[in-house]
Amino acid sequence: MTRSPSQNGPDDTPVDYDTDDTPVDYDTDDTPVGHDTDDDSLRTDGAGGAGGTAETSRAVTGTGGVPAPSAGPLDRLSAAVGRRLLTLIVGLTVLFLIGPVLLTFGASFFENWTGLAPSGSLTLTHWKQALGLTETVGASRGLGTWIVGVPFTGLAVRVPASIAFSMLLALGGVFVNLLVGVPIAYAVTRYDFYGRDLLNTVAVLPIVPGIVLGIAFLRTYPNLPSAIALVIGYSLLKAPYMVLAVQSSFESMDLRQLEESARSLGASWPRTFLSVILPNAKRGIVSGSIICWTLAAAEFNFSYIVYSRGPKPFSLFLFENISNNPFQRAAAAVSIYFLLVAAVTALLRATGERGFSTGGVR
Amino acid sequence: MATVDSETSGVADRAATVALPETERDRERRRIAVLAVPFLVLAAFGAFVPLAEMLRMSTSTSSFAIEGFTLSAYRELFASILAFVPVVGEAVFPETDPVYGSVFWNSLWFGAITTVVSVALGVGIAHALEKYDLPYEGTLVTLISFPISLPGIVAAFMMIVLFGTTGLLSNAFAFLIGVDPNAVALTGQPAGSPLAVLGLFFGYLYSMIPRATFLLRGTYAEVNTDAEEAARSLGASPWETFRYVTLPQIRPGIVGALILTFRTALAIFGTVLVLKALSVVTFRFDQEIQVGFDLPMASALAAVFFAFTLAFTFLGLRYTSAEVAET
Repeated sequence: MTRSPSQNGPDDTPVDYDTDDTPVDYDTDDTPVGHDTDDDSLRTDGAGGAGGTAETSRAVTGTGGVPAPSAGPLDRLSAAVGRRLLTLIVGLTVLFLIGPVLLTFGASFFENWTGLAPSGSLTLTHWKQALGLTETVGASRGLGTWIVGVPFTGLAVRVPASIAFSMLLALGGVFVNLLVGVPIAYAVTRYDFYGRDLLNTVAVLPIVPGIVLGIAFLRTYPNLPSAIALVIGYSLLKAPYMVLAVQSSFESMDLRQLEESARSLGASWPRTFLSVILPNAKRGIVSGSIICWTLAAAEFNFSYIVYSRGPKPFSLFLFENISNNPFQRAAAAVSIYFLLVAAVTALLRATGERGFSTGGVR
Repeated sequence: MATVDSETSGVADRAATVALPETERDRERRRIAVLAVPFLVLAAFGAFVPLAEMLRMSTSTSSFAIEGFTLSAYRELFASILAFVPVVGEAVFPETDPVYGSVFWNSLWFGAITTVVSVALGVGIAHALEKYDLPYEGTLVTLISFPISLPGIVAAFMMIVLFGTTGLLSNAFAFLIGVDPNAVALTGQPAGSPLAVLGLFFGYLYSMIPRATFLLRGTYAEVNTDAEEAARSLGASPWETFRYVTLPQIRPGIVGALILTFRTALAIFGTVLVLKALSVVTFRFDQEIQVGFDLPMASALAAVFFAFTLAFTFLGLRYTSAEVAET
């Protein structure tokens, strides 16, 4: 139990072997045979790829007992600064990843930003322009708006149409994903059949890059409205996230037992599936849907190639803002998406997931 | 002939039992079929048919309809790739423009460098998260995985925020060494210039580090800590423990992470489109389609690119020691 970092303060060198050449008195007479074999196997493991260095062979074969503490430069260095270095890397990475997000969000409220810091007074203008709530001069890069009358009050409210439309599109993708992803996840988790592994791989790996799929869609369905093409693309590109999330729920359940108990109590198979299995997998289904929805709302590569007419998807609105607009307007537009992701992450954590880590890569 | 007959009747029988099952085993088959059909339909109409059409389009003689049959797009593509090969290419194809060769090469070397750096950082981060008792670990994990949900265009905007002409770091740096921020900004520079490529490098890292870290965290979760503790108590330094005890255990995970992260790098598009720093394959698609509408060429390029990523991923995962940990 010497190596348990939790008991050391962050600044301590974890263990004191290498502080000095004071030989630690491990070589007591009862040469631990068990340790020896342990060490041997470890060494073969380590040497597997590159061949052991002279240092280790000395360290391990030296006395036939417990190896002497090693004191090469790398060893001293790792003992002295290893932990601090890695902690520093984690800190810098978090800064690199999150710093610009906070900067963007902050900058969107300032009148202008030149030099090192934002200046001018706080303002909501950029947000209003980005949301399309105020008229902008020239080609409007704001989100298109619908003017919706509020019943009984006689007031008219501007609703950001593009954002609403885009959220609906993503919702359509999630809907298709539910119909497609949940059954396939159940089939590959519960049953054993010919071709299961292949089907699992195909369902879990995003095989086709979005941009390739976009080019493939261009000529195949030329008369399909952009909206429908986008929904199909979203559901196909984001299906792996749904399958993975639902699968992890299914894997934590004893599916065979559940199914057999329900059947023996007289439920038909469809009824078993719908009213016993699915409710038990609720957590995976909910978090899978949330993840798919957010990722679909921001899907860019496929949308950029396929979109031709009709209301714009949100990611294209972001792209126009980023590539054409003054910095603060773009910052406000991007911040809309940040807010969305932050809300969704909070939701996910409420369902017990840690952010987007469920199936986040594939 | 007899075998063919019995085979066809076997298939017919099987189809009949799936439709009208008699035994429990047949019913199970029907259930599997019912569960798999929606996915297969989506995959067929959403992926296979379009990809087949794309292959057909790549041999079309027209950009606007599928007409005739020609391999000229592929011929041009491969000639251009070969023409890019140093020495040989110039000798064999002196007239050919090596543009496609250069975009493939750019995708490969840039993807390889960013992959190695992100996986190396990912190992360090996963190590620290798993082994050290960092404060607010859950929050750190959430923050590091946050960029996974951001599209490439937003990653590019983050680089503009940090390194652009009005960017925080570029302005700070310019202030420190006393030059104009325009001279040290990493975005908005001419394509291909070292500063622009460096900016794109950071943009790639922004998308790739969280993904690599996520994969490696799965690997680290499976490491046998007893062996590490034994090594430490036998006098191995932290470095030796990592090198000879931890690394052999996580090596398959690292290989898997390298393959999948490289795959991510190849498919990055939005970041390149905004930063316009280096002409990689995905950026070339945009030029083929938006600039000169050459759909056969774009389709051929997409087919070759897709075949490459597919072969790379599957052969890599199959024929190396790669393992992708399930988390």
